[in-house]
Amino acid sequence: MAINTEKLNSLLQNFVSATNDVQGAALVTPDGLPLATSLPSSIDEERTAAMSAAMLSLGERISTEFARGDVDRIFVEGNKGYGILTSCGEDAVFLVLASQAAKQGLLMLEIKRALGELKLLLN
Amino acid sequence: MSMSASIATGTIIRSELGDFSSIVCFKAVVVGVEEALGEKAAAISLIAAGRARGKELVNDLNLAGSNLAPEAITALMQKALGKDGTRLCLVDKVSQDGAVIHVFCRETVCSAGEPQGSNRHLTFTLGAIQGVLEKITGKRLRGKQTESVLRGGSHDVLEFVTLG
Repeated sequence: MAINTEKLNSLLQNFVSATNDVQGAALVTPDGLPLATSLPSSIDEERTAAMSAAMLSLGERISTEFARGDVDRIFVEGNKGYGILTSCGEDAVFLVLASQAAKQGLLMLEIKRALGELKLLLN
Repeated sequence: MSMSASIATGTIIRSELGDFSSIVCFKAVVVGVEEALGEKAAAISLIAAGRARGKELVNDLNLAGSNLAPEAITALMQKALGKDGTRLCLVDKVSQDGAVIHVFCRETVCSAGEPQGSNRHLTFTLGAIQGVLEKITGKRLRGKQTESVLRGGSHDVLEFVTLG
């Protein structure tokens, strides 16, 4: 069955607009293609998709190399905010961009909730 | 037509050495990136680079959204990527069966120099062809390699389906 990209886009848009301090989100395939995005206009979605998939894969390689077990998420913390990559099953990678003001615990909970909904749409 | 889309068999970029570099060096880049990043992350990066190259080519030729027929795409790829082009690979046929596009290629830069039985897959080549098809059709595609000259096939066969 084809993936319903309209629903995925709508879900991402709702997630971004309804979650405090979240600035953008993207769902990409493990081989680096965008499935659905709600990103600031200054960010190129094609490049974002390739980077996200490559980074999660690289994180998994690092974790294997250093015997750190399965990767739950990749967390990038800059002085202007966060970029969080989470595996969304076998078929997708979920990227969330948040501002520095975001509360990390709340953000993780919201991401977990969104992942549940996204996985339902992907299956 | 810009330099990147033109036939690059001459000395447009380099006056003494000409515009081609050995496959040996290209393969060393691929293997080196794979060792540093892992096979999967390297493949993602090389496919992304190929897609960007393919799209650039179609833009340079002013064929974006042209919805060319498979036969015309075959001719375009043969000219731009084949013996009289950048020599990325030989494209023998592009066929369309409903929403599925197949591309039959040989002598791809990605498979070149690999021993029979190698498990190497097309990455940059797949991306470049995908980029060309995406730009011409205006659709986002997902590609995979279904046959390989390294594993008993007469061609490296790529299959593309519309994503979403």
